[in-house]
Amino acid sequence: MRVFEALAKIDRKIIFLILAVVIIVPLIKPIGLISKASTRAKAVFDAVESIPPGKPLMISIDFDPGSMPELYPMLLAILRHAFARDVKVIVLGLWLTGMGLGEQALTTVASEYSKKYGVDYVFLGWRSGVLPVVLGMGEDIKKTFPTDYYGTPLESLAMMSNIRNYRDIPFFISLSAGDPGMNTWIAYAQARYGLKMGAGTTAVSAADAYPYLQTGQLTGLLGGMKGAAEYEFLVKERGYSKEISQATQAMDSQSLAHLLILILIVLGNIGYLFIRKQTKKLGGAR
Amino acid sequence: MQRQIPLILCLIFGIFMIVQFFVPHPYSQRAYEVVLRWVRIISIFALVLGVGSLVLYHSNKIKRKVSGWGFSIVTLVSAIITTLVGLLGVNWLDGKLVFFKGIGKSSVLQIFFQNIFVPVNSTMFAMLAFYMASAAYRAFRARTKEATLLLIAAFFVMLGMVPIGSAISPRLPEFAEWILSVPNLAAKRGILFGIALGGIATSLKIILGIERGWLGGGK
Repeated sequence: MRVFEALAKIDRKIIFLILAVVIIVPLIKPIGLISKASTRAKAVFDAVESIPPGKPLMISIDFDPGSMPELYPMLLAILRHAFARDVKVIVLGLWLTGMGLGEQALTTVASEYSKKYGVDYVFLGWRSGVLPVVLGMGEDIKKTFPTDYYGTPLESLAMMSNIRNYRDIPFFISLSAGDPGMNTWIAYAQARYGLKMGAGTTAVSAADAYPYLQTGQLTGLLGGMKGAAEYEFLVKERGYSKEISQATQAMDSQSLAHLLILILIVLGNIGYLFIRKQTKKLGGAR
Repeated sequence: MQRQIPLILCLIFGIFMIVQFFVPHPYSQRAYEVVLRWVRIISIFALVLGVGSLVLYHSNKIKRKVSGWGFSIVTLVSAIITTLVGLLGVNWLDGKLVFFKGIGKSSVLQIFFQNIFVPVNSTMFAMLAFYMASAAYRAFRARTKEATLLLIAAFFVMLGMVPIGSAISPRLPEFAEWILSVPNLAAKRGILFGIALGGIATSLKIILGIERGWLGGGK
């Protein structure tokens, strides 16, 4: 009886401690669990793969450092894929607090592939007002963003000379941690202007994307850290990058953490069901 | 009059935007672009209002020495420093502070972001993992039939969504995918339809002046 009671009431400090160990140990000593690409992740990869060299891929950073472990590796992997194929990249964001991450990712990856600002990639940054920005770019990107993140007029950037609006963007990806994000782009850019788009979301909001995947409004989906690891797997498999894959490394920790939580839930339920049975028995005896 | 003009404007522009969506004529497109430009301009005022109310709220807290007023000082000082650093384009170049050099890689704004905001924000969210593990252990109990169903679905999705799931059985990710693609999708679609219909109804009430809450000031 005591064992079952203990199972149903494990101290939260013990849970915290075991979870910390389960997360930290695989980061130091990786197990090497492989994330093979799902069809959803492959669809995003294939869409980027189908962009002809010289044409632009647009990425929206709709997250902040809170969702960095899941979405930042996606951003890095997608940038590596695009730059390796000589696809031009336009980065912007609907979350002001994510702009520093955009700057960081672009600086890191552009230097790996010797890409030049204004010629191979442009960082538009953030503008206040969500809907006017998303809808405005459907009409004219340069009117919505007269200058880039650094204050340089878009007219003066060589890469932007042939890009007017969404019609000139073969593929778009929203890396979204909530609202504004994927849903905003689907409702206003995809539905109104027919923008071909994919999304990368946090694992917790991946379920929200399924209706749009079925309707074809989303070409593909990278769901959580697993989605990032799958994209990294594809980028490495094709030989586009040899850099350390952050999400792939972290997947070991996440796998074990999930397993631990499930074990705890099972143990908790065994304890709970046993106590309930005993209480019923005692109640019946009385 | 103070309430009539906004209501009339809302009615005119609301109906115009609905009609415009279905009219691809160049005049209609040009009008749409003008409206969008106006929306962009007006939305900037929201930023001014936001900054104004933030300063006012925290200044009042400091003046009245309300509990936790020290945090308000931190908020205001941080906001002022960050704004100044960004506006003045302060950069750290070759061990010196230089001004009006933009907000790029070497900017103090980016240094603040990478060394203060990223760790603080990440730490806050990282702690959630621990609370969620503890909460899942306590809350996921098979108390009712519905809770048991939720428990079983969560079990398979959690296991199927990580590589260890496919290592246990290749069927697990397939089953997790089925849960997401069929029962989840059906429920989500129902919710989305509900939200969309509710949105249309509310929008019509606002356009027609039945719902006036957005005007503020109670009745």
